[in-house]
Amino acid sequence: MPVILSADHVSKVFATGRGDPIVAIDDLSVDIEEGEFVCLLGASGCGKSTMLNMFAGFTQPTQGSVRLRGTPITSIEPRCGMVFQSYALFPWKTVRTNVEFGLKVRGMAKRERRERAQFFIDMVKLTGFEDHYPTELSGGMQQRVTLARLLATDPEVLLMDEPFAALDAMTRQVMQEELLRIHESSRKTTVFITHSIDEALILSSRIVVLSARPGRVKAILDNNLPSPRHVDVQLSPEYAELKKQIWDLVESEVRHHDDTQG
Amino acid sequence: MVTLGPVGETTPATAVTDQGHLRRRIAVPWMVLISLTSVVVVMTLWYVSTEFGWILPIFLPKPITVLQEAQRAFAGGLLLTDVWMSSQRVFLGFALAGVVAIPLGVAMAIWAPAKAILDPFVSLLRPLPSITWIPLTMLWLGIGESQKVAIVFMGSWIYILLYTYESPTRVDPLLIRAARNLGARDLDVMTEVILPGALPGIITGLKVTLAISWSCVLSAEMVAAQSGLGAMIWQAKDWGNLALVLVGMLCISITVLVADQAANLIERLLLPWERNRRH
Repeated sequence: MPVILSADHVSKVFATGRGDPIVAIDDLSVDIEEGEFVCLLGASGCGKSTMLNMFAGFTQPTQGSVRLRGTPITSIEPRCGMVFQSYALFPWKTVRTNVEFGLKVRGMAKRERRERAQFFIDMVKLTGFEDHYPTELSGGMQQRVTLARLLATDPEVLLMDEPFAALDAMTRQVMQEELLRIHESSRKTTVFITHSIDEALILSSRIVVLSARPGRVKAILDNNLPSPRHVDVQLSPEYAELKKQIWDLVESEVRHHDDTQG
Repeated sequence: MVTLGPVGETTPATAVTDQGHLRRRIAVPWMVLISLTSVVVVMTLWYVSTEFGWILPIFLPKPITVLQEAQRAFAGGLLLTDVWMSSQRVFLGFALAGVVAIPLGVAMAIWAPAKAILDPFVSLLRPLPSITWIPLTMLWLGIGESQKVAIVFMGSWIYILLYTYESPTRVDPLLIRAARNLGARDLDVMTEVILPGALPGIITGLKVTLAISWSCVLSAEMVAAQSGLGAMIWQAKDWGNLALVLVGMLCISITVLVADQAANLIERLLLPWERNRRH
């Protein structure tokens, strides 16, 4: 599979008001292939959100380059669509008009975008909630709207920044399965950030383990657990083995990070 | 029904447990009963103190005198004419202020030079109470309707401007980022995100200003007018008719309350998505 998204020796340094600048990411390189589901896994503060923001073009690397199909990303890139942890739905728009947003700004005719929006609303199983406002929905439902809104614009890459972190454990599990189902049918390249080893194992086809601050690639693991995958994959011995392997990689990072914090 | 407390704050229909609340909640029927009792007590005090001559009628007329005066004023149709005249002036001045100040406020929020141009004038004009405009407006416009409208306008537009200017800056930047990520261009971000996001703040500003507009028109009418509630109170004072003054004051309260309720209703219609956030 051809490489669609790449980070090439990327470093990101944030200037602070006083004291030393913070190195969030240091010399990070990763190639993401078309159709892959890659999880960036790391402890909090490892710069994984910063990396995702660079893929979306919200912020630029201090050094190195971020590329989409070989072209550097220098400004906000709608072909890399982002799912935010806090949903970022427009509160004054209904489910339908939220999902239609990306189509409306592309100048799609009303009837056409309504049809297309309906298709994605159905896909995320929100049929019947078209005229509800986001505040009337649960967290899980709001995240479904965000997903539908993004999928409707047909981006080439889905960037997901801990999208299920704010959900309760049971809803999260349902959403993970939904996402697997959607990925199975759309085959959209997905870069998914998480700090949960379980989530990474359930969702991904490849896991990029990042070291704690500054973020560097610590290891890249292929996740060959059978697919189409189901949440009960967690019961298999292969799963336990992979989990152990990742935990060994991450453990020292977490402890180290915790020590420097404390 | 006259409710106490900030305008627009509605009491939930059911009593909530008092855990975590500084103020203990009481069931609604009890609240109404307590309110009624407090009104009755005050009215009784008023009645007793005037009836037994503890307070002379030249300082506070008897309730019955006020009631008779109100009846007379209503029957003659003059009271309603005054209400109508004042309302008209408020509405015109307020609408004009909105038409001028909302676009200016938006311009200030999104275009720095507009802010630079307007800032000095806003700073200078803001501290001026609207009555200070009475001499100039009388000189320029005489003492007709346009002068009253001008006073309302001068007293209102700056508040609308300031609220409007503040509102777009409070739109969640994440929403703007999300919109751009979905392919929105500058104009889309403006019309689809910033303006709707700013609307609740702008409407709050309009509601606050509406009450200010009312106080502007009353002071303008007290200085130079033949009609309107302010003029009516002032003339009644000159005639020594204190009961009519009280009738006028009560009338102002009721009119402003009605205007507030109308504004709340319009707000709910304009911001359907805010309905579920309120409680």
